[in-house]
Amino acid sequence: MKQIIDTVHHFFIPRHTNNFTAKLLHHDFLTIYLIVAILFGAGIKHMQQSGNILGYATDVTVQKLYELTNAERSKINLNTLNYNDELAAAARQKAQDMFAKDYWSHYGPEGETPWQFILASGYQYEYAGENLAKNFMFSDGVVKAWLDSTTHRDNLLRKEYSDVGFAVVNGVLNGEETTLVVQMFGKPLYANDTVAGGTPKPEAEKVVAQKPNIVEQPAAKPIVSEVLAYDATPQQSSFFSTYLNINMVFFAMLMIALILDFYFAAKLNLIRVRGKNLIHFLFLGFIAIGAFIIIQGSIT
Amino acid sequence: MNILVKHLKTEVKKHAFDYLLFFTAGVVFLMGLNIFRGERLLEFIILLSFVSFYIIWGIYHHIIEDSLHLKIVLEYILIGFAILFLIKVLIFPF
Repeated sequence: MKQIIDTVHHFFIPRHTNNFTAKLLHHDFLTIYLIVAILFGAGIKHMQQSGNILGYATDVTVQKLYELTNAERSKINLNTLNYNDELAAAARQKAQDMFAKDYWSHYGPEGETPWQFILASGYQYEYAGENLAKNFMFSDGVVKAWLDSTTHRDNLLRKEYSDVGFAVVNGVLNGEETTLVVQMFGKPLYANDTVAGGTPKPEAEKVVAQKPNIVEQPAAKPIVSEVLAYDATPQQSSFFSTYLNINMVFFAMLMIALILDFYFAAKLNLIRVRGKNLIHFLFLGFIAIGAFIIIQGSIT
Repeated sequence: MNILVKHLKTEVKKHAFDYLLFFTAGVVFLMGLNIFRGERLLEFIILLSFVSFYIIWGIYHHIIEDSLHLKIVLEYILIGFAILFLIKVLIFPF
């Protein structure tokens, strides 16, 4: 037990065994962090190229998106949505079209609409809607961002919908590797009204589609992009969540070492040739908050 | 705990401008990331700028304090670049 406490002290507290600087903040340890960080990056790239990380860029999965969407609907006693393969195919086609024509919007540069992808997939709708997201790291981040936006929230929680389809597609958009998430909602034409809590209503004669806000488009650039992967079958992947957790533990460990080192150096009145612990601490703090912003992508 | 607070206060009071400058840069860094959310290249440029600022801040601060040493510069570079490579994986997960 004494040996364990001694080791912990050696790593975190300045004293004679570590030349009066927490061992975790020594140059040799800092060099190890740098080497490990470089190897981590190189290793992940290598694993992706050899197909060991399922070919996915992030932890966004159709399964999780589907579960979270239905969970949010259930919270306000709305009907849960059925997973529809035709809508999923439409979502995939939409994502591939955005990569092929290099745009990021509900409407394409040549006037393509979400509804034409839905109709082309063979799904005849009475109501339809679309939500888009890009460069998110985790599924819950995508759904949370949609819920935080009034228009996307209204779309996600629209009581008229009965079906949903998703596509998570990686490709090159505006010259950048991008992960797109397309969510397509629908209610089939002439379907029985099974909306929970709702009263049956007469079938609409006219096809109605909910059109989300239009975002201004850049001029069309006919860049053909390679679709790296699409999440056709619901799967779970937790690689990036593990990576994020490792990072958080590392940051926390370093910050604790900085605080303890600062405290004991002040207590013992140590004069050392060292950088400023306070600024290292602030730097790590800002980076940690920044990391949480980075894992959030954008929606439209 | 009192010692910690006392030393923190002394340190910040002594170099109020330097710390305020760094804090402002940190806030600008977070605002930049928030504004350009989802734009991977810009996110990386913002991160790289902040890491560079941190290293330059370290050199500048220790010059002013007349305590600049190669070991100190190396410390800032090692921490800065270790963090840069760790976060780069989150920005470019491909």
